[in-house]
Amino acid sequence: MNRNMDRKIGVYICHCGSNIAGTVDVDAVTEFAQGLPSVVTARNYTYMCSDPGQDLIREDIKNLGINRVVVASCSPLMHERTFRQVCESAGLNRYQFQMANIREHCSWVSEDHGAATEKAKALVSAAISRVYYNEPLETREVPINPNTLVVGGGIAGIQAALEIADSRHKVYLVEREPSIGGHMIQLDKTFPTLDCSACILTPKMSLVGSHPYIELMSYSEVVEVSGYVGNFKVKVKKKPRYVDVDKCTGCGECEKVCPVEAPSEFEYKLANRRAIYRPFPQAVPNVFAIDKRGYPPCRAACPAGVNAQGYIALISQGKFKEALDVLRRTMPFAGVCGRVCTHPCERDCERGKVDQPIAIRSLKRFMADYELKAGREKATPVKRTKEEKVAVIGSGPAGIACAYDLVRQGYPVTVFEAAPKAGGLLRYGIPEYRLPNEIVDNEISYVQELGVEIKTNTLVKNLSEVFNQGYKAIFLATGAGVSQKMNIPGEDTLGVIHALDFLEQISSGAKASLGNKVAVIGGGNAAVDAARVAMRLGVKEVTIVYRRSRAEMPAIPSEIEEMEHEGVKIHFLAAPVKVLSKDNRVTGIQCIRMELGEPDASGRRRPMPIKGSEFDIDVDNVIIAIGQMVNKEMLPKELAFTGWGTLVVDPITLQTNIDGVFAGGDVVSGPADVIAAIATGKEVAVSIDRYLCSVDLKEGRPEARESVKDVPKEGVVTKERAVMPVLELGKRAGSFAEVELGFDETKAVAEAKRCLNCAVCSECQECEKVCEAKAIDHEMQDEVVEEDVGAIVVATGVKVLDHTQFSIYGGGVYPDVISSLQLERMMSAAGPTGGEVICPSNGVHPKDIVFVSCVGSRDERTGNGYCSKVCCMYMAKHAVMLKEHYPETHSYIVYTDARGPGGKIFEEFLTRAQEAGTTYLRGRIDKVSQCDGRLSVSGQDLLKNKTFNIPGDLVVLATGLMPSDGVSKLAQSLNISYDTKNYLLQAHVKLRPVETFTDGIFLAGCAIAPTDIPESVAQGGAAAEYVLKLFSHDVIDAEPMTSIVDISRCSGCLLCRQVCPFTAIEAETLKDGRVVASINESLCKGCGVCVAACRPGAIKLRGFSDQQLLAEVMAL
Amino acid sequence: MKVEYQPKVIGFLCNWCSYAGADMAGTSRISYAPNVRIIRVPCSGRVDPLLVLKCFQRGADGVLISGCHPGDCHYTEGNYHARRRFALLRNFLDYLGIAKERLRVEWVSASEGQRFAEIVASFTTELAELGPCVKERSLG
Repeated sequence: MNRNMDRKIGVYICHCGSNIAGTVDVDAVTEFAQGLPSVVTARNYTYMCSDPGQDLIREDIKNLGINRVVVASCSPLMHERTFRQVCESAGLNRYQFQMANIREHCSWVSEDHGAATEKAKALVSAAISRVYYNEPLETREVPINPNTLVVGGGIAGIQAALEIADSRHKVYLVEREPSIGGHMIQLDKTFPTLDCSACILTPKMSLVGSHPYIELMSYSEVVEVSGYVGNFKVKVKKKPRYVDVDKCTGCGECEKVCPVEAPSEFEYKLANRRAIYRPFPQAVPNVFAIDKRGYPPCRAACPAGVNAQGYIALISQGKFKEALDVLRRTMPFAGVCGRVCTHPCERDCERGKVDQPIAIRSLKRFMADYELKAGREKATPVKRTKEEKVAVIGSGPAGIACAYDLVRQGYPVTVFEAAPKAGGLLRYGIPEYRLPNEIVDNEISYVQELGVEIKTNTLVKNLSEVFNQGYKAIFLATGAGVSQKMNIPGEDTLGVIHALDFLEQISSGAKASLGNKVAVIGGGNAAVDAARVAMRLGVKEVTIVYRRSRAEMPAIPSEIEEMEHEGVKIHFLAAPVKVLSKDNRVTGIQCIRMELGEPDASGRRRPMPIKGSEFDIDVDNVIIAIGQMVNKEMLPKELAFTGWGTLVVDPITLQTNIDGVFAGGDVVSGPADVIAAIATGKEVAVSIDRYLCSVDLKEGRPEARESVKDVPKEGVVTKERAVMPVLELGKRAGSFAEVELGFDETKAVAEAKRCLNCAVCSECQECEKVCEAKAIDHEMQDEVVEEDVGAIVVATGVKVLDHTQFSIYGGGVYPDVISSLQLERMMSAAGPTGGEVICPSNGVHPKDIVFVSCVGSRDERTGNGYCSKVCCMYMAKHAVMLKEHYPETHSYIVYTDARGPGGKIFEEFLTRAQEAGTTYLRGRIDKVSQCDGRLSVSGQDLLKNKTFNIPGDLVVLATGLMPSDGVSKLAQSLNISYDTKNYLLQAHVKLRPVETFTDGIFLAGCAIAPTDIPESVAQGGAAAEYVLKLFSHDVIDAEPMTSIVDISRCSGCLLCRQVCPFTAIEAETLKDGRVVASINESLCKGCGVCVAACRPGAIKLRGFSDQQLLAEVMAL
Repeated sequence: MKVEYQPKVIGFLCNWCSYAGADMAGTSRISYAPNVRIIRVPCSGRVDPLLVLKCFQRGADGVLISGCHPGDCHYTEGNYHARRRFALLRNFLDYLGIAKERLRVEWVSASEGQRFAEIVASFTTELAELGPCVKERSLG
């Protein structure tokens, strides 16, 4: 290798006291270095980093003309900066320097002195080889944005924000919770001075709230960070709090009317808050937020999206009228659906996982009953705001639901009905004992009162005529009103009736003459209805013949049950094969036994006949209820039909093959239930509105309605579902009086109170009604804002381990085993008990209180070997304060080590706790149990070496601290390091305690490690100082370690552009037309990924060139 | 396997995680085999496969490349590039007749001093069992 004679290398080997010299023979290394090429001088010294050590280097640069320096000492992460400055101060370029790490990577990790010395020689040799190629580099100046982002609004973040803002630099303070204050605001008193925590913190909080240089972004989270020191770009997601921060005055009226309670996070579940809440009265910002978790499962399960949780919440408050209003926001059929709905909501009801689902359908009916009983006020007609007339054909549930939605949007709507009365199958298909006509009448009248015109006895067969009358859109909801045939011999015999005809006949008041014995074929609701009607008409024996088993029966189970009570028999697994007759009059029905085979397309097991198993049933009438079909005859021919005879529609928009004509309900789906029909009616209303406004029909549809998951059920006390009272069996025969009698008020309220409020906010909108500031917006969405900042302070704090996970100590098992923070809240005069310390189980003041330390700290079983630092002191605080408040109490503290870790008057305070009569027991708890109604804490006293067993009224667990949730994700987006426990790493534990490895990002508070309040404040201040130091200049020197392209060697493959994580590489066309890679230095961060990807070796990373790294390899 | 044989290992450690992790092993005084020589690189993605080949050519018995854990890269995705490159290179080494076990890619964070020491220990034990990497050395 040709050596440049200009290179004059000085090598300086540090003893680091005995840290290096105790293991490595520094003289031998010096001698070895002296003999290497280009080395002019090699020296060793006790502490190279000290002033005399630094002077050695400076002198040699001046006197010997040294132009490359190698220092073999500690890690470059420790002192690289120091020695670079030494070089610079002596006139050398700071990058003509190289460090050999012979302490952390050599002397400290080697036991064998000889091997350590050899390793040190190798490392020094590598550094000498490398420094030969260390070229002088020039730093670049980049401007600094003088704004700061502070993440976390606990005491550390507040302190940092205030210090920076007071220096008139803008601060964005981002806090995840609705209020700043962190854990400190939850404390009653602070140790060891027993200052009132709120009294010393709230003034700072309100300063933050009003500071002209602080923009507080509460209920927000940092989602993305890019850029570099002085020039970060930060994306902050403002979570929707559904309350406008600028409008809310914090008056609290909303809270008073909110029907939903949820456990208060702030009070650690010792009290409840409302769904619209402010964590505590002194919150900053002093505004409310709504805890909205999505769609409750009941609402998500309802095809029509009826907000069941909303009306149930209001029923539980006795607000029956308001509850009905909630339902009517979606549809008008409280009384109808309250009686006949198949209630998929109840199937998904989370309460069912505790005991039984809420009786949602019956509660819905209750609202309607309540209104009817009180007398319904006439509805106020909706103002017509739209010109375009809409025609709805068919007045069943689908048609009315659609008309209802459209009229409320201001459209003139006319419903055409062929029958003499409106209601469709609701009136003609469902018998009165189940759904009285007056209910149907009432709800349809309500829709009429709003402005919907209903023309009965009007058959529409020609759609163009409708259009010609000026209607701009048509909804076909004509249903599926024809019974299906069985296609068996004898089906046309006298005495064979179709269920729908039969039910319609009865509903219209006509008489039907049936014999003594009737068979009903089918297992759906129509079959059950027909059977029960037959019983009411005085038939002696009614038998249902159904080809599958009970499990597959599609009718509502409670209806089947009532039917059986009424005496109807069911023949399962049997199918008719022939109607038997004499003189063209039914005498019986021949059936065949079935068995269940493989599941069919509907998922139900397919029934298969068993050969030779035919049997006869003697009957006088056969009622066929095996399904209904669309009456094709009655519909215009130009419509497209499916093979099933139903209408073809677009699955999303429900538009038919004719423009402006939509269809829904049974005419599209075939026979289905009421709520499904309502759902399609509502969908069509959306389509028609969009159609008439010329808006894209499909965009954003179907609306995703994801149900909330993980509904908490802890502490829910089992309570039986309310039973629907029914008409006595004896009173049913011969009568069409309603069988189900409905809930009374007490029953309804009690049942509604069983609701778990899965989504927390029920969207009942009562808060909106009382908010004078008009601050509530239930439709608020996430908002992501982007801000530019020059520096970032991370003060994300800690969470306290949940004491209920320590069941060995009785946490979560006994109500009188609580966490320290729960005790803290009880002690607070503003807390859930008004400052009274009580046993949660009975509300009595405890006499004996046992504190257990190190719960989840210093305990490798829980994975946290570290000390949470604050517990010993706060346990002493609690003991002292309890003695002051309740002199008769006795506190026991079971401790591992009672630590007063160096704080001011900490040890003295521990003494004070002992003097207050606290019993300190050194040991570990085996378990906490309960005997004779008292808690018993047993364990080992390690000082006396014997077991102890202390009876206690209250056990307080000093649960350990853990980094906040999500901090690792934040650290990843910030590019800062964290340890295996997710505590953030400092650039140096001792010397750079609030800096990170990433320039411009600083740390404060418990995010680093558990700290007490004074330390957090000091760190917040220190972080602020670093930020302000950064801002003391307009520009900053950027590291010159960036990549450069040698365009003469670049082939233009641009592979480098593909791999660059910072989009710093672009294609550039040269004057000769050749395309080469070009690197934007201000974006390049110097990772060097492009260098390794560059095929022709055209890219060089300054400071880490191939030559430099190769030189190291060659020397090792 | 000779007891006195000490394999020579070159480790390329990223500045942000693994180099600091090796420092942590030092500050925690966790001793490990003295035969690993560490070269600091900004990112594991900076390590050129050719540089690794050069190591073997110059007599290394094993090469360790260590970066930040997936997701934690200081440069967002440099370690992913390293992961892909060295998965390929390991197969290529096998093809060349150098046991692919001689090249290791590991993730060590700045707090994982213990883990770093354990990796060095297991790697050197494995290399000692493999014996010296003679093939490339003879071509060097």
